[in-house]
Formats: sequence, structure tokens, C-alpha cells
Amino acid sequence: MKAGISAKQHVKSGIVAMHHMRAVGFLVVAAALCVAASADFLAMWSPDEFHPSPALTRIDSLSRYCPSLRGTRADTRIFVYEGAASGPTLLVLGGTHPNEPAGFMAATVLLENIIIRTGRVFIIPQACASGFTCTDPLEGSPQTFSLQTQSGKRIFRFGGRAANVVDQWPDPLVYLHYPSGQQLSGNETRNLNRAYPGRQDGSLTEQTAFAIVSLIREEHVDLAVDLHEAAPEIPIINAIVTHEKGRELAANAVLNLEFENLQFALELSPANFHGLSHREWGDWTPVIPFLMETSNPIQGRLRGTTSEQLIVDGVDPWYLIAGRLGTMRITYDEAGESLSGRVGRHLQALRALVDVYNEEHPDSALVLEGLPGYGELTARGVHQYLR
Amino acid sequence: MLPDLLILLIMLGIFAAGVFWWKLPAGLALALSSVAGALAAGYGLPVRHLVEGMFGYLDAVLIIATAMVFMKAIEASGALGAINSAMIRSLYRWPTALMILVIFFIMFPGMLTGLSSACILTTGALVTPALLAMGMPAVAVGSFVAMAAVYGMIAPPINIPVMIIGGGVDMPYIGFDAPLLLATFPLAIVTAVYFRVRYVRAVVPGVVLAKLPPSVYGRHGVKLFAPLVVVVGLMIAVRVVPAWVPDIGVPLIFILGALSAWRTGEKISLVKLSRAAIRDALPIMTILVGVGMFVQIMTLTGVRGFIAVQALQLPPALLYVGIAAIMPAFGSAYAASSVLGVPLVYVFLGRNEIVVASALSLIAGVADMMPPPSLLCVFAAQLVGEKNHFRILKESLPLIAAALLVGILLIVYAGPVGSLFRY
Repeated sequence: MKAGISAKQHVKSGIVAMHHMRAVGFLVVAAALCVAASADFLAMWSPDEFHPSPALTRIDSLSRYCPSLRGTRADTRIFVYEGAASGPTLLVLGGTHPNEPAGFMAATVLLENIIIRTGRVFIIPQACASGFTCTDPLEGSPQTFSLQTQSGKRIFRFGGRAANVVDQWPDPLVYLHYPSGQQLSGNETRNLNRAYPGRQDGSLTEQTAFAIVSLIREEHVDLAVDLHEAAPEIPIINAIVTHEKGRELAANAVLNLEFENLQFALELSPANFHGLSHREWGDWTPVIPFLMETSNPIQGRLRGTTSEQLIVDGVDPWYLIAGRLGTMRITYDEAGESLSGRVGRHLQALRALVDVYNEEHPDSALVLEGLPGYGELTARGVHQYLR
Repeated sequence: MLPDLLILLIMLGIFAAGVFWWKLPAGLALALSSVAGALAAGYGLPVRHLVEGMFGYLDAVLIIATAMVFMKAIEASGALGAINSAMIRSLYRWPTALMILVIFFIMFPGMLTGLSSACILTTGALVTPALLAMGMPAVAVGSFVAMAAVYGMIAPPINIPVMIIGGGVDMPYIGFDAPLLLATFPLAIVTAVYFRVRYVRAVVPGVVLAKLPPSVYGRHGVKLFAPLVVVVGLMIAVRVVPAWVPDIGVPLIFILGALSAWRTGEKISLVKLSRAAIRDALPIMTILVGVGMFVQIMTLTGVRGFIAVQALQLPPALLYVGIAAIMPAFGSAYAASSVLGVPLVYVFLGRNEIVVASALSLIAGVADMMPPPSLLCVFAAQLVGEKNHFRILKESLPLIAAALLVGILLIVYAGPVGSLFRY
């Protein structure tokens, strides 16, 4: 009897030991996977390289306008260009949403090619710097994309839509916008373009928004452009969105762009949707704000394979079908929506806005040169305009 | 590289084989099917994507873990039993009213947090012993609680699927209260009456209470309910007076609630009950981790886009049927509202978009019941001690059909419905 019990106990302890060994095995495999993956995640903390044009006056940091950002991953570079003569000041923001690469690349092409005669230009290519250190879970995004430039292959980060959760977490279930009290989904707490005008003692994203609004005020910015992209099925694409005070200027720019065979929709910023740059910059500062959108298939919910190729070529089989079904406002054909074309649209529209502003202010013009337009970028490719 | 349809079939096939044939936990089967999908699409073993997907629902995992600790704490302290006892004593004469009150009670945390799982883990767990003691079969109780959780997630004031859809189409979360009430409250009442008629006979309080643990209210008084006051109070306070009470996050609220069960009722060991809670929650948490991997690989390989475009390609006559069939098939309310909810708002542009988005959120909400993860059914099965969660899904089918019908009717008549609310 005693021997029977001890045999049972022996079997039981054997099962327990096997169970423990299996558990340890699972833990070892999980740890190995985490170590392997963490190398990939940490690689995204290395900053991108920029090669500013010789016209560069200085490089500032966003923390200059909100010191609490210093030393955080939200602090970002500001490339400042000052002409020989005084004139108006332009602010250009790229990378508000790091998963919208044409905005970031248009700002990069601008800062690497700009020649300035009069006035000042502030360029922030990675407005949401924290968002460039991660990709969005469940989106299957590539972490980088590359372009063969004159100086060799350059690799650029493709980030997430909002700030990295490592830098700002946890999200509330519901995001209450300050100061309007508007309710949005909790993950929008980390979305820079829902955080304006921001606050100095707020979340990291609100501090970033506060710094940008402070820059606009302290540097007396006259025109500000926020470069974005959106999914092809969204109606507001290939569009310029503006505050009431920029309506006439934007309308004239859209008209001029039509003469250049580029169609842009003109959208007025909704008065009751808060947190957006085109609404809050206009409401809280003297600047005339604009937001531009191009069509970006890798952001779309109908896209096929999510790949680096899709970022650069913008060709997607499912969007071809969706286009034929008439579910999109734009024409989407076999040529797709290439990064070169999208950057070209941004820069051509930026030029058109500046031109109209100069026509309206002949005594105080912003004279810029060296900006490639849509035709040049689509003909030669964006890589040809990167140093 | 294989066509998208084949990759999808391989993923679903491996999942089904994992669950039904190899008897693996659903979370592990989802992980295996994700690896199989990546291999079939020619990505090898994309470790970064698999790990990234695992973190897709991290916040929900933390909420479930801490909610479970909270529930164990109030169960051990005696608060749970006291509430059940009080509810039956006060409403036993009116079983229909009791059932209606109970369904709104279950829905309450979901209405406040936008999380269906919160309903099952908190109020659902509170009322389950009473419903079982009233003679309802375990499967029926599970179905009742799971459906209430769906309605709770969709009912105002907080509806996360609508917020996800709104975020995708730049629509502020304003004016949704009335359409969401219309989409959920009548369904909730119908559900309560349905279960009352089918399963609940006259309630004899003595008989029912004898099946429940004795109430310890007399021994501890109102301080017994301190944990509930802490949790419900903080959840309301962070919404109503955000300037005074910072949003510390739902997991921390549940932890504070669990801590306040110490010395306010029966003697409890927080360490022991925490271990038991995590052990119970583990299968559910692994499902969420697996679903994250599954969605990430579907997106990476293009399968997600394939499903979305197939839905949009349906001829107008089949569009509504397609929406009712495909949206729930995403198996997650958040995934369904993000992937299909956003493009579908554009498909129905010109109708009342607020009503359309509300209706789509109801249809997406049903996805939390559906396989592969069947999250709410798994939760509910665990709650009522039912081993086969598909029995809960089967029991819920008529109510799921009713919810889908209401959703489709709201889309069809979005214009007239919207005019009722003067949008």
C-alpha cells in the first residue's frame, strides 16, 4: 500500500517537474523572441540624417519654446533659414504624423534645397519626433524606407501616427481636449494634431503642441503649413485645409494650381472640431494656417501587402479595385500614388501659397528659390533632390 | 507568395485545427495561425511583427487582469453576496422588472468605459450567482451577460468603436447619445424580456437566497461597499470633473478598488486572491495577445485589405447582408470598426453620418462575441462555469441576429432617424 502511494507520488512529481520544464522552455523561447525583437525596436531610436542646404542660418530645438521638452524624445530639430533682407516668416511642419512620409519628405527636400533671398523660413521635418521611434501595433508597417540618392542609399524612418507609448502612457479611455473639453478616442491623446493649442504642464504631446504654438507667437510667423497625408478613401485628400482667415489666399492658390494642371480641393477648417493645427493655430495666434493632404495608400484600410515598396511606389492592387468601384474621390490608376508625386504636390502647393501671399504683400515678400515642383519631382524622382 | 484568400484560409484552418483537433488554448492557436500566415505569405518568421502584434491590446490585457483581481477581492470580502441578496429581496415580486434592472446594471460599466469586458468582469460577475440561483441555466446566464456587455459597450456616453470610426473620418464625438440610446436600450429591454419569458419563473426569495452564500452585510455595514464606491466613483469622477481628478487609467482604478476591500469586509489575502485572479484571467489574456498577432499578420500580408475590399465589392442588394456577415467576422469590435467602419461611412455618405456610425458600431460590437476569439463568450463561459464557450455563442444567436437587424435598419433609415434628433 505504502509502495503504491509512493509510486503515485513519484508519477505526480514527475508530471509537475515536466510541467515546470515546459514552462521554463516557454519562458526561454519568449525571452529569446523579445531580445531578437528589441534589437529591431531599439534601432528606431537612431535619429535620421539631414543635409541642409548652404542657406541654413542655424539649427534650433523645439525645447527652446518649451524647456520641459529638453532631453525627451519629443524634442526635435528646427532648421532656420534667414534671407539677406527682412520679410515675412514661414513655418513648415512635416512629420506631425510619422506614418505620413510625404509630409516628412517634402520638408526634408525643402530644407536640403532651399535658397532664401528675403524673409525667414522655419522648417520642422519631424514635428512628432517621439512618433518616429515606433510603429503602430496591428498595422504591420515597415520601420524604414530607403531611397538611392546622389550620395548613396539613404534610409528614413517610417513611424507611428502618434507619440510612442514608451514616452507617454497610459492612454485614458477617452481623450478630453484642452481647453475645449471635446471627447475623442483615448489613443488620440498622443496625436499631435489633436493637441493644439497645447499646454506647458500637460502631457508630452500637449507640451509639443504648446512649443509649436509658442514658436508661432514668439517668432511672429505669418504663414504656417502643416504637411500631411491621408488614406485614399478619405474625402479630404489632395486638398488644402485652411482657417477662415486663409480662405481667400488658399482659394487663389488652388486656382493657380489648376492652371498648372494640379487639382486641389479647398476645405474650410470645421469650427467645432478642436485640436487641429488649421483650427487652433488660427484661433490662438495671428498666423494664417494651412494643412495639406496627399493620398497615401499605406495608411489606407483597404491596402494589400504592407511594405516599403508601397510607401515609395504607392501602387496597390486593392485600391485599384476600390477606385473602379467609385469608393474614392480621386482617380487611382495603375501608376499609383508615388512618394515623388505626393512630395511634388506638397511643394507645388506650398510654392503657390507663398506666391499668392507675395502678390498680396508686394512690399514684404518671401522670396524662395531652389524648390522643385510637381513636374520636376515626378519626372526625376524625389531621390534626385536629396543630398 | 500565395493569394490572399489562400493565406486567409490557411490562417483560419490552422486556428480551427489548433482549437478543435490539437485542443490548444485559443490564444496559442491564434499565435500558431499567425506564424502559418506569415510563412505562407513568404515572410518567414517575422519576429518583430509577431511581438508588436502581441502588444496591440496591452491596455485591454491590463484592464482584464486588474478587473479580475478586483472581482476576486469583492467576492472574498462579501460585498458580492450582499448585493445579490439585496437585489433579490427588493425585486423578487417583479421578475420582469428585475431582469430589466439587472441588464442595465450589467451594462453600466461598459457605458462608462466603452469596454465590453468590463461589464462581464464587474457587474456581470456580481449578478451571475443570483441569476443562477433564480433557476436560469448556466448557458442562458452566460448569453444574457455577454449580450448585455455588447449593449453596454455601444450605449452612451462612451462608445469606443464610434470614436475609432470618428477618428478615421474626422467626425467629433458629438451628438451620438440619442442614436446610441436608440440602438441599444430597446435591444436591452427585449433581451431581458426574452430571457425572463424563456427561463425565469416566479422568484421565491427564500429558495433563491438559500442557494447563495449568506449575506455578511449585518456584520460589516455599508463599509462593505467601499471598493465599489471607489471604482464607480473614480470612473465617474475622471469623466465629470477631469480638472480635479486626473485620469489614472482603468487598471489603477481597479487596483485601488481591490485594495479598499482590505478590512472593509471579511478577512482577505490580497496576494492569494491576486494569484487566483491572474490564473483565471490568463486564458482570456492569451486570446487578446493571439488576436493581436493575428491582426498584425493579416495586415502585413494584405489579407485585411482583401476582406475589406470584398465587402465593398458586394452588389447593393447584398451590401447590407455582407456588412452583417463580414463586420462581426473580424472577431473584435475595435478591429471591425477600424477596418470596415471607416470606409463604410463613406459608402453611405449623404445619409445621416452620425446615425450610420452609431449603427456600424452596434454591428461591430457583435464582433466581440464571434470566433475566432469569441472573447465575450469565453469570459461568460468562465463566469458561469461552462466549459464549451461555443454553447454560449449558440444560445446568443437569436439576439445577435436581432442586434444585426437593428444595426442594418438604422443604416437603411439613417436619414429619417437622424431627422428625429434634428441633426
